[in-house]
Amino acid sequence: MKIVVCVKQVPEVADVQVDPKTGTLIREGVKSILNPFCEYALDHAVRIKYHFQDVSITVITMGPPQARDVLVRSFELGADEGILITDRKFAGADTWATSLTLAEAIRTGVPDYDLVLVGKQAIDGDTAQVGPEIAEILGLPQITYAVDVTLTSTRRQVRVTQEVEKGYEVIEASLPALVTCSKGEVVRRAPSFKDVINARQKPIRLVSAGDLQIPEEQLGLQGSYTQVVKVFPPPAKKSNLLLQNLEAAEAAREIFGFLREKRFVE
Amino acid sequence: MLNIDHEKCTRCKVCIRNCPFGALNLVGGSLHVNELCTLCGACVNVCRFDALSIERKKASPEELAHYKGVFVWAEQDEETSPRKPRKVVLELLGKGRELADKLGEELVAVVLAGPGEVDTEVYGAHGADRVIVCRHDLLETYSTDGFTNVMCAVITSKKPAVVLYGATPHGRDFAPRVAARLQLGLTADCTGLEINAERQLVQTRPAFGGNIMASIITPYNRPQTSTVRPNIFPVPEEKKDSSLVKEVFPVTLNRAAIRTKVVEKRYLDEDGGLSIEDARVIVAGGRGCQKAANLELLQDLAKKLGGVMAGSRAIVEQGWIPHTRQVGQSGTTVGPELYIAAGISGAIQHVVGMSSSKTVIAINKDPEAAIFKTADLGVVGDAVEIIPLLSALIEEKN
Amino acid sequence: MHEIYSKTAPEADFSQVKRIEGFATIQAEYSAYLSDESKLSAKPFDYLFFPKSESELAAVVKTLNLQKIPFTVAGARTGLVGGCVPPEGALISLEFLDKVLEVYRDEPSGEWRIKAQTSVSLKNLDSILRVKQIPLLEQSPDEAIRRHYAEFREDPDQYFYPPDPTEMSASLGGSVVTNASGARTYRYGPTRAWIRGMRVFLANGDYLDIPRGRYFASREGEFIVCDSKGGAMPLTIPDYPLPRTKSTAGFYAAPNMDLIDLFIGSEGVLGIVTSVDVALLKLEEKVSIIQFLDSDEQAVTLADALRYEDRIQLDFLEFYSGNALDLLRRLQREEPSTVGMPPIPGDAKAALFFEMSFDPHQADLDFSILEAVINGCGGRLERSWAGYESRELDRFKVFRHMVPETINSIIAERKKQYQGIHKLGTDMAVPDGHMREMWDLYRSRCEALQLEWCAFGHIGNNHIHVNILPRNLEELEKGMQLYEVFAKRAVELGGSVSAEHGIGKIKAKFLKYMFTPEQIEQMRRVKKALDPQNLLNPNDIFPVEVTA
Repeated sequence: MKIVVCVKQVPEVADVQVDPKTGTLIREGVKSILNPFCEYALDHAVRIKYHFQDVSITVITMGPPQARDVLVRSFELGADEGILITDRKFAGADTWATSLTLAEAIRTGVPDYDLVLVGKQAIDGDTAQVGPEIAEILGLPQITYAVDVTLTSTRRQVRVTQEVEKGYEVIEASLPALVTCSKGEVVRRAPSFKDVINARQKPIRLVSAGDLQIPEEQLGLQGSYTQVVKVFPPPAKKSNLLLQNLEAAEAAREIFGFLREKRFVE
Repeated sequence: MLNIDHEKCTRCKVCIRNCPFGALNLVGGSLHVNELCTLCGACVNVCRFDALSIERKKASPEELAHYKGVFVWAEQDEETSPRKPRKVVLELLGKGRELADKLGEELVAVVLAGPGEVDTEVYGAHGADRVIVCRHDLLETYSTDGFTNVMCAVITSKKPAVVLYGATPHGRDFAPRVAARLQLGLTADCTGLEINAERQLVQTRPAFGGNIMASIITPYNRPQTSTVRPNIFPVPEEKKDSSLVKEVFPVTLNRAAIRTKVVEKRYLDEDGGLSIEDARVIVAGGRGCQKAANLELLQDLAKKLGGVMAGSRAIVEQGWIPHTRQVGQSGTTVGPELYIAAGISGAIQHVVGMSSSKTVIAINKDPEAAIFKTADLGVVGDAVEIIPLLSALIEEKN
Repeated sequence: MHEIYSKTAPEADFSQVKRIEGFATIQAEYSAYLSDESKLSAKPFDYLFFPKSESELAAVVKTLNLQKIPFTVAGARTGLVGGCVPPEGALISLEFLDKVLEVYRDEPSGEWRIKAQTSVSLKNLDSILRVKQIPLLEQSPDEAIRRHYAEFREDPDQYFYPPDPTEMSASLGGSVVTNASGARTYRYGPTRAWIRGMRVFLANGDYLDIPRGRYFASREGEFIVCDSKGGAMPLTIPDYPLPRTKSTAGFYAAPNMDLIDLFIGSEGVLGIVTSVDVALLKLEEKVSIIQFLDSDEQAVTLADALRYEDRIQLDFLEFYSGNALDLLRRLQREEPSTVGMPPIPGDAKAALFFEMSFDPHQADLDFSILEAVINGCGGRLERSWAGYESRELDRFKVFRHMVPETINSIIAERKKQYQGIHKLGTDMAVPDGHMREMWDLYRSRCEALQLEWCAFGHIGNNHIHVNILPRNLEELEKGMQLYEVFAKRAVELGGSVSAEHGIGKIKAKFLKYMFTPEQIEQMRRVKKALDPQNLLNPNDIFPVEVTA
């Protein structure tokens, strides 16, 4: 059985700062990491691999050459082989151009795939669009917000526990299908040092624009439907009052006074 | 242009059955498409032999001008009868009215629902000029395939300039699917929407976890589509009389087209089903509350203030509260009158989910905690000690 | 040369220095200043000063000198031995001396160095070095400072301050006077190894600027501190040999020693450090590995094996006993900040935690030597956790910081029932080759008395903390007796009874295990030379009760 997991290398968003003078992002010193939601997707795939026999996991990423790091990282976490799609022509791609490229890479790279898992969203873009767009391009049924992904006993359907506003729903679909993933219940095991060493031996295929049958005008910035016209820092927060060095009882009284003033209590 | 590869076509007729417009039929033994086709893509999606494809080109300015109107997907609250829209729909109608007025075009609500009774007056009362109602048994509950098919049919036949969806789990599920099928631009989680001088929709949204804002346009494709989080725009005042036009849109849906099946529902039983999204007062806890048992203190305070208890991602992950009460970027966006953050550090991913709150009080032991930047009143201290004392003061007053 | 001239700081107006008077007020509004991490109770004292500059500090010290009021100095108050808990008189908090003054490259050595005031916390220093943002330097009126800072920012490499004591909220000055050490001391040595210069204020309010490498003890073991008015204070260095391990007990003393080393590790009784020049090291990528093992003994054996294998260079080598792992398992079930850490494997009975250089981009990784050493001790590399990305390492932070915190909260719980209960943690180090013997002693004695205990720490330096968690006052008493047994044996083996915590007020008696009365008297004479009226940090190291 073949599972494809799409992964993305993203900057560590918590470390990103905005230059107050130019309003743009300061990327120096910000590490690149495997997008956490992609990690969860991989996690679900690895759990299926260990639960059912005869499952192989291919990870695919689209990015600059250093995106190779997230493939190696994925190997540490349990993936078996990787595909790195890299080419200057992909630069500037929005979610549509990205989805088109990834879908084509899946179609040509792992033609007999059974299940595609992607993270619910990337922590830099936060759009959550690429998963459903890939599903549409490949013509697959989709299930989003998965907190648990498993196969039915016949292995011909995927059974997903989906997080909904009121709780959970369990949804099934026939394979091939695409699932976008959220964090699962079980904290995954950490890779051992042996896993780290072995990860460097696993195979990575390189794919460039010429290897994919997509017309050039549909790639990268050219192929994007949306354009960013401005980037600016978020609005400054309101001015506010900070009380310190108060004993708990006094603090409670201050808050109570504030609530009264604002009419939240009589 | 719908392209038919006659060599691959097996004449199984599934596409014919799934076409909402009756544009496909067999003529002289081979598949034929007529002028009723709107390029909605339902047939392409359903063909198992890859015999159908649609070539979409970017629209020229003349073609773009044919797209008119601001459409809002009116997500139904499946627990109401007659069916009413979710609160976010009203918020979008408010904003949509502004955009439609600027364009001098119509504001339309699009309802996808099952056969039961649907309240349509509410759309007029909140500013819509027209409501398009699509009904089918299979639309009784949400499904990706069902809703995508119908929405695409509506869009390709009505040609709106703008389509807005609430960024609810369902909205975020199928809006990208529609965008992919019709090759539209989609901007997710918008916090700002404006029409610029070129009559384009400028969509503003946070990125990098909220560290930066980006403004985006979709110059060459119509409609321009966006998802918007609940509690970002205000619910407009109700209008007394409105001249709402009601339109029924014929729906073609096939059971086979819906490829996912809900086999089990595990809903959590919460106090009176009051969701945090609609709450007027929220008392939220974070890691600083130290242990699950302490959440009872927050629950108590919430009750006394007539509100609900919620929490940050950290405590959801620890299993102290279910995800239904999670506030933040990967949880729910809330906009209460009063938000009390107890022991929450204020990471940007959390703040993004509650920054629409009107009044914020934060309690944290760390004077440098980021949450204080968002708070109207910040108190450096131990929430576990302060909250029960505060509850006692309120109790006393009552 | 062995003569040094003290300087007089321009004095500020004493009346302008922020102060709080009266113990009642201090207790009510500044209760945090009453103690440090040792939770030693303060005796009543009368003044709390907050000098904002060296001039203000000079004014305070000189005034207190004139009035013969003893004064205790506090930094971040993270000490474990009551060093900044005043017995009487005044408390001077240095918290407002918290600026980074300069970053520069030392030409002969090529080292990058930072000059910073005493209350810059180690955590702040760490983040400043990571993001390389120091607005104060960027806007400095001094052109040279701005230029050096720009050079530092342009240098593509990352730098760090190696000592890495476990308590990162400690102040830089505090870490210097205690000669703090931590996990990385295994490879990089304690704080002492990284101090290139300091400014220290003496008990009389004058100060010394001491760069390393300028002032050395004479052949007779003497230094002379001269002042501008022609006065001269000679002091004689003790002649005892230093322990053969990490030690923070007693003054540093060696023939021909550098004057700066006298103040490093002196716990503040010889002077008040107001700024330091520290050296930085280039940051290299590392991998952290937690190796799970079948028994505590296996861990001790493996630690020795790793130390002896010259071809393996570890930055640190830490140990967690089986019962420490059990504490962590319990913690995982209860504490939110451990979220993200995988469950500790059920069959893990002990663990070693170590770090070494690692290039994640290298195509071929050869760690066969490491694997051979581990296999040789009965372990398997598959039973480990490894991480090198900062997010991954954050998950492992629990191991580094949570065990002591968990112990503290357990003790706090028990204190509610038995007020006299307190933490009992050893801080003993022994020379190489003796760790196994000490371990057997620790285990056999604790088990014989059926005490609740756990052990963890810097096994690379043969320095592990054994913590006894008394469940009642009887066990506390037994534990304290055991402590003496351990201390005596450690010293017999050539080790130290205070490897990193210092002596302060709480561990004064341990000095007697390691030094003869004559040797302790030699230390007292150094103190007396620099602080004849015994006003500075009285009761630290040398209890006032013990009279000559």
